[in-house]
Amino acid sequence: MTRQGRTAIAFIGIGLLIYAGVYLVAERLVYRNGHSNPFFKIATTEVKAFDWVILGASHAMPLDFADFNGQMQSETGLKIINLASPGTGPLYNRFVLEAFLRGHTAKNVLYVADSFAFYSRTWNEDRFGDAKLLRATPCDPATAWLLLQYSRREGIDWRAVADYVTGFSKINNRERFQKDVWEGELQFDRVYRPSAAAVKSRIAYLFSDSGREAALARYMTEFAKLLELAERRNVRVVVIKMPTPGQFRALLPNEAAFYEAMTAAVANRGIGFNNFSAELDEPHFYFDTDHLNRVGVTELFARHLKAILMAPVN
Amino acid sequence: MLFTSLEFFAFLPLVMLLFSAMPVTQRWAVLLLASYLFYGIWQPFNLVYLGAVTLVVYGCGWALERAPRPAIRKALLGTGLVALLGSLVAFKFYDFIAGELERSFASTFPIVLPKLGVSTPVGYSFYAFSASSYLIDVYARRLSGSHHPGHIAIYVAYFPKIFAGPIERATAFLPQMVAGLRGDPGRAIWGLQLIGWGLFKKVVIADNLAPLVDRNFGIVAFASPIELLISVYFFAFQIYCDFSGYTDIAIGISLLFGIQLMENFRRPYLSRSTAEFWGERWHISLGRWFRDYLYIPLGGSRSGLLRRYLNIMLVFVVSGLWHAGLGYGVGWTFLIWGALNGAYQWAGLATRGLWERLGGLLPALRQSAALALVRILLTFHLIAISWIFFRAKSVSDALTVVRKIGTNLLEIPSLLVQYPFTAEHGMGFGLIVLLLAVEALDERRPLVQRLAAAPAVLRWGSYYLVIFGLLILGRWQAKEFIYMQF
Repeated sequence: MTRQGRTAIAFIGIGLLIYAGVYLVAERLVYRNGHSNPFFKIATTEVKAFDWVILGASHAMPLDFADFNGQMQSETGLKIINLASPGTGPLYNRFVLEAFLRGHTAKNVLYVADSFAFYSRTWNEDRFGDAKLLRATPCDPATAWLLLQYSRREGIDWRAVADYVTGFSKINNRERFQKDVWEGELQFDRVYRPSAAAVKSRIAYLFSDSGREAALARYMTEFAKLLELAERRNVRVVVIKMPTPGQFRALLPNEAAFYEAMTAAVANRGIGFNNFSAELDEPHFYFDTDHLNRVGVTELFARHLKAILMAPVN
Repeated sequence: MLFTSLEFFAFLPLVMLLFSAMPVTQRWAVLLLASYLFYGIWQPFNLVYLGAVTLVVYGCGWALERAPRPAIRKALLGTGLVALLGSLVAFKFYDFIAGELERSFASTFPIVLPKLGVSTPVGYSFYAFSASSYLIDVYARRLSGSHHPGHIAIYVAYFPKIFAGPIERATAFLPQMVAGLRGDPGRAIWGLQLIGWGLFKKVVIADNLAPLVDRNFGIVAFASPIELLISVYFFAFQIYCDFSGYTDIAIGISLLFGIQLMENFRRPYLSRSTAEFWGERWHISLGRWFRDYLYIPLGGSRSGLLRRYLNIMLVFVVSGLWHAGLGYGVGWTFLIWGALNGAYQWAGLATRGLWERLGGLLPALRQSAALALVRILLTFHLIAISWIFFRAKSVSDALTVVRKIGTNLLEIPSLLVQYPFTAEHGMGFGLIVLLLAVEALDERRPLVQRLAAAPAVLRWGSYYLVIFGLLILGRWQAKEFIYMQF
């Protein structure tokens, strides 16, 4: 080998060693600052068997804000893990459930359905490549393998796999020293002051894509696959729709089509679908345009959730 | 395709592989294909504009070479320039002017003018200027018009420079194509150093300064004087690192192919006068273009004092117009920016004699480092003030920034003490200090030479610092290069 070749190999070798060191530090920071990422919760929970797994997008997250999940567990005596993640649709939720069921068991899944998550790839395929999710997902070869399979089967961007395997988003994390807390959790005790402009811009953000009919069919299929996965693993599924303020609900586009499709999807399998959308209309139950605050989740839990969680499995 | 995209990091090695597999004399063909792919993948229709410019420049150049009569030659040059520069003006300003006219007459004589509805194709300002320089050089017989059409095509489309220059001269570029392209390890190492440092300037420095600048310039009415002041400083370095980062990468990539592009930036914020800044250090290829193809043909500095002043102002105003349509829209701000820089040149020219006499009387002062520092700081601040007009969304926004900072100048020290600086600010200032330290070192002795002479530990250490700086601090999901948005 030439001298230049040897130099190049030495340079790359030292670079890889430094990279490995940086990767290890970044991974340690993931564990030190981890909090709300579903994969972090899976990796760090000491419990192997759960009674309930909560899945969904951000509307399901307040059930785990502050100490609320602990409160629900102590009041019901059940083991509950909340694996919801902001802006995630059924495809990402299935990925999380599949990863969870590799090393854990669950008797029930509480699926918090959101229509927006069924209307765009932004909340499904594209979420796999989101640096905010990737940088908080601990390194695990089994998760990497699962992600690779999703990339091949479901059309997830290969760059998401490359990012996860190389740990790039963790190394490149600008918030590496901050706790991985979703901004909503910091406002959990806040009370929302209604704003028509805020609701309008929130709806525009959630429903930015066109071609919604085709998307709904596509993600209902993904949802059906999630139900099949649960069925195969003897996990009962209950679907709920979280309450949202009337002002927000009134602007939701294509809601009837979503409701119809969801009802049909769950009815075929004998799954319960509880629509609590109109349950809590007053703004004091919310910390922003559409997320329940502490008062809201406490009320919902007392009115309905507790009964659902404690209902005996058939 | 962006230099900072993952696709580009796969594209470049593939092109290099193909390039080295080809015979030396045909390597330009690989670069031409790669250039069309690089440019077309962004928006395939843009290839039509690129093709049209190539045809115009080749056709007119070919005809110019063969036309014997001066009148025909003039007509050919005129046709080519109208096609190239006229289309550039139309792309940039037609819709803006139509909109302004409609607004002006709205109350008295409402009119609706037809609109082009197309924005300037990405990089058009750069390759239209390159192409024009070719035609002018052929007309002036500085260059033969009978070059191989493939060579002309690669001159116009060459991918490292197509989006943001340098505005390379055909007199320097084409002979390299004719001679055949050969890479060599020494140049390749220099090229890689430039690519690394260019990326660092772009994704680490410029893109980390950008969010703060965008936030405050987005709402100037609500931003505090300190926030605006910090944004003005940050923007001065953001635009420098963004643009010079691009050209460093462009020059670096070219060195991998054995092509030497012209230097485009020479540590501009170390200039001791605005004349030095514009004439020798900032966007050198554009400055020379304006000097050779506008200022000198207008008579330059040899046609009387008044004419000289007018020529200077004209060049700067046209330069301002050329910059319009950049990421910050088309507006009057660019005209003011150009005129303000023209006014700086006027002031410099008018007081030059006075400074020279003073320097003669006090030679020690002339040599003093303190005076040099004062001049550098003064020049930087003058340029930074002009950047306000460049960056602001409107003239009224720019004036708000100037007024807010100006009327609070005396309170700035006390406001600074009270200001809640964040880690974001700390990082921004830290990166600027690092940049200035590197540039100060480079000014005394080129870093390339320093690195070549340094022990391997130091050399490799600095390479790893840049590479891991890019990985750890870079904003890779961030924006495209500012100057690409022409």
